[in-house]
Amino acid sequence: MDTQATPPYPFPPARQEAPPMTAPPGVPFGTSEAPPAPVADKPRRGPVRDRYFDLLRAIALFRVVFYHLTGWAWLPVVFPSMGVMFALAGNLMARSLKRPPLQVVRSRMRRLLPPLWMLGAIGVTGMVLQGWGPDEDGHPGWWWLHLTFWIVPLSDPPYAEGVHGIHGILGDDWAAEIAGPLWYIRAYLWYVMLSPLILKALRKLPWPTVVAPIAISAAFEFGYLDFLPGERFPSALTDFSTFGACWILGMAHQEGVLKRLPRYVVPSVVPAIAAAGMWYAVTHGFKAGHDLDDIPFAQALWSFATVLMLLHVSPSWSEWPRPLRPLDRIVTLLNSRAVTIYLWHNICILIAATVWDQMWRVDTLAMNVPWLLQSLWPVLAITWVLIGSCIVWFGWVEDLAAKRAPQLWPDGSPKRGGRRSRARSHRA
Amino acid sequence: MAFRSTRRSPDSASRRRWFPLRYLLPVLVLFAMLAMLMLRGYVHSEILADFRVRPGTANDKVPEQILDGGPVIDTRGRTPTTLRVPDHRIVLTFDDGPDPTWTPRVLDVLKKNHAHAVFFVTGTMASRYPELIRRMVDEGHEVGLHTFNHPDLSYQSKRRIDWELSQNQLALAGAAGIRTSLFRPPYSSESENMDNASWPVTQYIGSLGYLTVVNDTDSEDWQKPGVDEIIRRAKPEHGQGAIILMHDSGGDRHQTVRALGRFLPEMQEEGYRFQNLTEALDAPSAHTKVTGAELWKGKAWVFLVSASDDITDVLVVGLAAIGSLVLARFGLMLLLSGLHARRTRRKSFRWGPQPVTEPVSVLVPAYNEAKCIENTVRSLMRSEHPIEIIVIDDGSSDGTARIVEAMGLPNVRVVRQLNAGKPAALNRGLANARYDIVVMMDGDTVFEPATVRELVQPFADPRVGAVAGNAKVGNKDTLIGAWQHIEYVMGFNLDRRMYDVLQCMPTIPGAVGAFRRSALERVGGMSDDTLAEDTDITMAIHRDGWRVVYAEKARAWTEAPESVQQLWSQRYRWSYGTMQAIWKHRGALLDRGPSGRFGRVGLPLVSLFMVVAPLLAPLIDIFLVYGLLFGPTEKTIVAWFGVLAVQVVCAAYAFILDREPLTPLISLPLQQILYRQIMYVVLLQSWITALTGGRLRWQKLRRKGGVSAPPSEPGQRSPVMDGSSA
Repeated sequence: MDTQATPPYPFPPARQEAPPMTAPPGVPFGTSEAPPAPVADKPRRGPVRDRYFDLLRAIALFRVVFYHLTGWAWLPVVFPSMGVMFALAGNLMARSLKRPPLQVVRSRMRRLLPPLWMLGAIGVTGMVLQGWGPDEDGHPGWWWLHLTFWIVPLSDPPYAEGVHGIHGILGDDWAAEIAGPLWYIRAYLWYVMLSPLILKALRKLPWPTVVAPIAISAAFEFGYLDFLPGERFPSALTDFSTFGACWILGMAHQEGVLKRLPRYVVPSVVPAIAAAGMWYAVTHGFKAGHDLDDIPFAQALWSFATVLMLLHVSPSWSEWPRPLRPLDRIVTLLNSRAVTIYLWHNICILIAATVWDQMWRVDTLAMNVPWLLQSLWPVLAITWVLIGSCIVWFGWVEDLAAKRAPQLWPDGSPKRGGRRSRARSHRA
Repeated sequence: MAFRSTRRSPDSASRRRWFPLRYLLPVLVLFAMLAMLMLRGYVHSEILADFRVRPGTANDKVPEQILDGGPVIDTRGRTPTTLRVPDHRIVLTFDDGPDPTWTPRVLDVLKKNHAHAVFFVTGTMASRYPELIRRMVDEGHEVGLHTFNHPDLSYQSKRRIDWELSQNQLALAGAAGIRTSLFRPPYSSESENMDNASWPVTQYIGSLGYLTVVNDTDSEDWQKPGVDEIIRRAKPEHGQGAIILMHDSGGDRHQTVRALGRFLPEMQEEGYRFQNLTEALDAPSAHTKVTGAELWKGKAWVFLVSASDDITDVLVVGLAAIGSLVLARFGLMLLLSGLHARRTRRKSFRWGPQPVTEPVSVLVPAYNEAKCIENTVRSLMRSEHPIEIIVIDDGSSDGTARIVEAMGLPNVRVVRQLNAGKPAALNRGLANARYDIVVMMDGDTVFEPATVRELVQPFADPRVGAVAGNAKVGNKDTLIGAWQHIEYVMGFNLDRRMYDVLQCMPTIPGAVGAFRRSALERVGGMSDDTLAEDTDITMAIHRDGWRVVYAEKARAWTEAPESVQQLWSQRYRWSYGTMQAIWKHRGALLDRGPSGRFGRVGLPLVSLFMVVAPLLAPLIDIFLVYGLLFGPTEKTIVAWFGVLAVQVVCAAYAFILDREPLTPLISLPLQQILYRQIMYVVLLQSWITALTGGRLRWQKLRRKGGVSAPPSEPGQRSPVMDGSSA
C-alpha cells in the first residue's frame, strides 16, 4: 500500500500499542494492525489506515445486519459482504506476516477469541439454564468435547436446539440465532492458521494459489468430494473453499500480485467470472430463501469477482475524500467493534423483532397503522440501538484482547480515549 | 477506422456547451428505434402476453338464470339477465381476428350471401390490420371486443381488465372511428360453462356497460375437423335461433371459409337469416361514433403501430445488410491481408532495384508538446537512416520550441510560426525541407531506430507517392488503452493491408507517414479544407495517380487518449473529417484515369466501411437487447457469441501478423459491450453535424508524456513508461 505514512514517532511508544489519532484500535476482523511495541529503538512508521478498506468493512457489516433482518436475496448479490470481509482480513494477515508466523497467528487468535468467549459465557449459560446439558443427545462425552469448540472454534460450537425464548423479549430458538454466524469465526480461525502456508504458496505460484479454493468449491459442487465423512468436516471445507479465494486475494493484493498484472486484465476478466457465477445461481434455483448462501459455488465465483474488482479499484485513501468525511466516526466505530457487532447482531435482530411484534397488542396501532407494524424499518432501527448497547456492554473485551485500555464508544472522536494518541501525534 | 494524428487547435473553449447535445441526439435516435421495436413486440404479443388458461372450477356462485339462460349476458343492471336470438335467425361470430389472409375471405363469403356477422377482434390484430376493421363496419357487420392481447381475464387484476378493454377500444377508434358495447371474454364458451372464476369478471365488465356475448353452438373450427363436421357442430336444431362461434384467425382457416360457403346458402334455404347481433335482437346498433380527442388518439395509435411494423422491417433488412457486410469485410480482410503479408514478407521481395539510402527530412509539427517533444526528438536521433529533423512550433505557449533548441542537437532545426494549424505547419516544414522524401510524424510520437528506414524503402518504386507506417499504442496498460490497442492492431494489420492491395488506402496516419515531395507539390501540399488533412492529402495523391502503400515494419509508438472525453473528441474529429474528405473528393467518381479509378473503387469502399457500416452496426446491439429481453434469449446469446468469435478470430489473426502477444484480447468481449457503442454514437454525432452543417470545435489532448521510447524489442508488452518526464 503506497499510502502516505504518518510521520515517524520520535520515541518508541511505551508498552501500549498506540494507533494514530484517526485510527481506532485494531480488531482482528482485518482492521488495521496495530503492531506490537518494536523491540528495537529505531523510529518506526505508524500504521496508516486505508480508509477505503475501512469503508468497505463498514458497508459489509451493515449489509450483514440488514440482510439477516430482511433476508432479501439480492442483498448478497449487490454486496457480497463475507467475501469482502475475508479479503480485507487476508490482506491484513499478509501484512502482519512480515513478523514470525507463530507470533502472528497467536496474536490473531488472542484478539479473536475473547469476544467469542464472552458470547459463549452468556449464551451457553443461558442454554444450560434452560435445561441444555451433557445428556442432550445421549453422548455426554461428545457434548463436553464439542463444548470446547466454544473455546477454540476449530469446528462449529454446539448449541441447544429449539429452546424457548422469553415471552415478549426474546424469540424462541434464540440459541440457533446466536450460533448461526459462528461459522465465520471458525472459517476465520482456519484461514489465520493456514495463512503462513498460503503465503508461501502464494509467493511461489501466485495465481494457482488464488484459484485453488474455487477449484475445491467446484469439486464439491460437482460431487467429487462426497466421500468426506460426517457433517463437520465437509461444512468446514465448504466454507473454506467458498471464501478462501477472497482471503487469498486479499493476501495477494498485499503482496502486489494484482499490481503486476496489466491494468486491463481485471476489468476484462471480472464480468466473465461474475456472469458465470450469476448464471450458475440462476440456473440452480436462485430466489428469496435460496440465495447465494445456499449455492456455494455461485457464491464463490460472485464473491471472487466482486472482491477482485474492489481490490483492483482500491484507491488507498489515507484520508477520507471530502464527501465521505461525515462518515468518519460511524465507520471508525463499526471498524473498532466489528467482532462485537458481528457476534451479537443476530440476537439483537431477534430481540428487536420480538419486541416490535408486541406492538400488535396496542389496538390503536394495529387498527390504524398495520403497515408500520409490518414494516422492517423500525425493527432495523431497534436492532441498531440494541447493537449499540452491545458495543457498550461487551465491546471492551475487544480492547482487552488487543491489550489496550478499554473504551466504551471508540468512534475516534478526540474526547474519549483518543487524547493520548493525539498528544503523541502532535509531538511527532 | 482511420488512424492518424491527434490534431490540435487553439480553439479549446466551450466544450461543456456541446455536452448535452452530443449525447442527446444519438441517444434519442437509439431510444426511438428500441421503442419502436418494443411496440412491435407488444402488438405481436411477444411482450406482456399471458398464455395461462384457468381450468374450470365450481359454479355454485353463478346465478341459475345465467347458467340456464341465453348467450347474451346483460349484467349492467342490478339483476343479471340473459337474451336469446329469436328463431330462424343466426348470428355468426368470429373470434381472434382480423387476420390478413383469412378475414378478407370470410368477409367475401358473407358479402356474396348478403349475410351479416359479429367479429370479436383483439386489440393487437385490430391495431395491425385497421383496414379490415373498416371493411367490417362498412359492410354492415358488428365489431366486438375480445381484449387487447387475449389473456384469460380471470387471472387479471381490475386494472389490467380496464386496460385490456380501453386499449381494444382505442384500436377500434383508430381503425374505424367507432366504439362498441359488445364483449366476448377470451377462452369463453356457452353460458352454462360460466364458473366462479369467470362470473365476477363478467359482472365487472357488465358494470362498465358492456354486453357479454358467449355462444349457443361451437363449430370448433380451430381443430380443423373437416367442413362437414364444422357445419354439423354449428347448426342449430329445430329452427332455433343461435349464436355460432367460429374463428377467422389463429391459423389456417380454409375449412371455415369453405364451410361458410355451404352453410350460409343451406341455412338461408331453411329460412334462416344471418344478421349481426343487434339486428337479430332488434336492438339499436352496438357501435357509436367516436369523435374528437379519442378519435385522434386512436388514429395516432394505429399510425404508430404501422410505423413500428415498417421500421422493424427496415431494421431487419438493415441487420441482414450489416451482418453480411461485416462478415464480407472480415472475409475480405483476412484474405487480402494474408495476401499482402505473404507478398511483402517474401525473401526475394524488393520495392525497387536499389534500396533507398538517401537522406530524408523528418517534419515534426508541434503545438504545446513540452511534455513529449524531447522524447520524440531523442528517439529520432537514434535513427538508423540519415535524416534532418525540422520541428515546426505552431505558436506553442508552453516553450516547446525552446525545449528543442536547448537540447542543442545537430541536424535539428526549429521553425516557429504563429498559430495557424497543423496543415500550415506541415506546409512550412515542407518549404524548409532539404530532401526529396519527407517523413511526417506527431510531436507526441516515438520512433524506433529502424522506423524511418523502413518507412522510406517503398520509395524505391517510382510509382509510390506516399507510405503509411504502423502506428502502435504505447499506453495500452489500461482498459481503454487495451481497447485502442486492439483497434489499432486490427486497423493497421487488416484494414490497411486490405486497402494496400485494393490500392485505395484512405489515410496516411499523421503519426507516421512519408511522402514524395514531388507528389505533395503536384497536389498543392496540405490543405485545411477538412478536419482530417491526412485523409484529404492521401486521397489527393491517389487521384494524382500515385500508389500509396503500407510499410508494416515502420513502427511508431503513440500515446492514445486515456479518458472517454478525449477519445470522444479525437474520434469525432476523425469521423467528421473523413466525411468531409470523402465529400471533397466526390468528383473523382466521374473522373477519367487513376482519379476515376480511385473514385469508383476506393471512395465507395471507404464510404461503405468507414461511414455507412458503422452507422448500421448499432442494430446488432439493438436486436441483442431486444432478443435478450423478449425474443429467443438463448439463440440471441449464441448469435452474439458467434459474432464475438468472428471478431476474436480476426483480431487474433491481426495480432499474429503483427507479432503481438495475444493477452490484450481478453478485453475484447467487454470492448464489444462498452467501447464499440461509444464509437457509434460518435459517428452518429458526426452524421448529425454533417447534415446540420454544424461547426466542430475541439481541444488538445491532455498529454502525459507517458510514451518515451519504443519497447526494446518489437512485440514485447509494455513500452517503457516514464512517469518522471511528466
